[in-house]
Amino acid sequence: MRYALSAMSLLLVACGSTVAQTGSAPRAPGIESSGYVWNQPDPDKDAALAHRPDIEKGKIAYEVCQGCHQPDGAGRADAIYPSLAGQHASVLIKQMMDVRAGRRDNPKMHPFVGEWVVSVEDVANIAAYLSQLPISLDNGKGSGNRLARGRELYDNDCASCHGDNGEGRAAEFYPLVAHQHYAYLYKEAVMIRDGERRNANPKMVVVIRDYSNEDLKAVSDYMSRLALPAAAGR
Amino acid sequence: MKPSRMILAAACAGLLLTAATASAEVIGDIERGKALAGEICVACHGADGNSPVPMFPKLAGQHADYALKQLQEFASGRRQSDIMKPIVEGLSTRDMADVAVFFAAQQPLPGQVDDPSMLDAGRRVFNEGNPDQGVPACAGCHGANGIGNARYPRLAGQYPAYVLDQMAQFADGRRSNDKRLMQTIASRLGETETRAVAEYIASLEGSK
Repeated sequence: MRYALSAMSLLLVACGSTVAQTGSAPRAPGIESSGYVWNQPDPDKDAALAHRPDIEKGKIAYEVCQGCHQPDGAGRADAIYPSLAGQHASVLIKQMMDVRAGRRDNPKMHPFVGEWVVSVEDVANIAAYLSQLPISLDNGKGSGNRLARGRELYDNDCASCHGDNGEGRAAEFYPLVAHQHYAYLYKEAVMIRDGERRNANPKMVVVIRDYSNEDLKAVSDYMSRLALPAAAGR
Repeated sequence: MKPSRMILAAACAGLLLTAATASAEVIGDIERGKALAGEICVACHGADGNSPVPMFPKLAGQHADYALKQLQEFASGRRQSDIMKPIVEGLSTRDMADVAVFFAAQQPLPGQVDDPSMLDAGRRVFNEGNPDQGVPACAGCHGANGIGNARYPRLAGQYPAYVLDQMAQFADGRRSNDKRLMQTIASRLGETETRAVAEYIASLEGSK
């Protein structure tokens, strides 16, 4: 009963709230919960993955994203908006749906990826549009001070999933990391290590569990400088 | 009465409400719209949609898709306005479409900046947003020159007073026919930033 009451009062607060960003983002079970399964089936995600995308419609639906991620999908190194151009569509769909469902916490982005803004088909179309944009090559880099260490870590721990050149693996939902902004890579790596990125792959958490911040900086810097061979990574 | 200009494709309420991917363009009769506007819109919005009063929006050059959606939602109450509702609720969809294409075809006059000292700050918000607060650049949807498109309204040259009033309505939820996008943005922007961006919008000429 107390539960029902507090749920009711929450609902009232939500409805009565004058501020519309209301819909404070939902929170779904993630890596902190027992029985967490990474990338488990989800009706919206699966429907988006199955949708035959329309790139022109994706370009239009992307309008609502480009105020932050930029018209060319390059994001912004200074604002920690990730580069999206050339990312695998599967990865983009998973991440958008995880933010939407509250498996990945992103209260700033959440109101722009809600189902009242973009349909399942829109999500698929946006992902397809972005995946075929040319990867932006002038992404933010790190200090460059510890690249040898970064390379050692990457080759030992990261390359088997993210690829020798950082190309990721679309079928496995492993992101392209080459040419991603250093600041974004580092921020996410810290969150994944510390359990704050709640849709993280537990296999990766184990791998980087003992990384110091300095090592995460080194490997993020190295990743930000990886270059794909021509026509790779698609 | 021959339509001097026809814009292709269908305009039905359902289509327009699904916005993000709908690219319907409005069919309307400009001459008929002009006659209607001359009866019911002229007092507040001016004969050519360049309204004489800063609290009433300029409609000249506004996208017909957007204007039609607003008219329909004033009539239905989805966008609440005690002024607009009684004026438009008797109009047919055809009437609304005709008025919308008439105003879309009019030439907007340049806006008036009240406080030029705010333009730099306003330009920054318009083009870069506020990443710390999660505010996207206005330019992302409304275009770098503020001309908008069928889905997002033209802003260039609009009165600051009107823009500020709408931002206040979005921020406190009185206006909510925006898929919560502007509600989110308006509630995240600070008062000074909002005023600055309204001034910058007034300064935009909206040339292609």
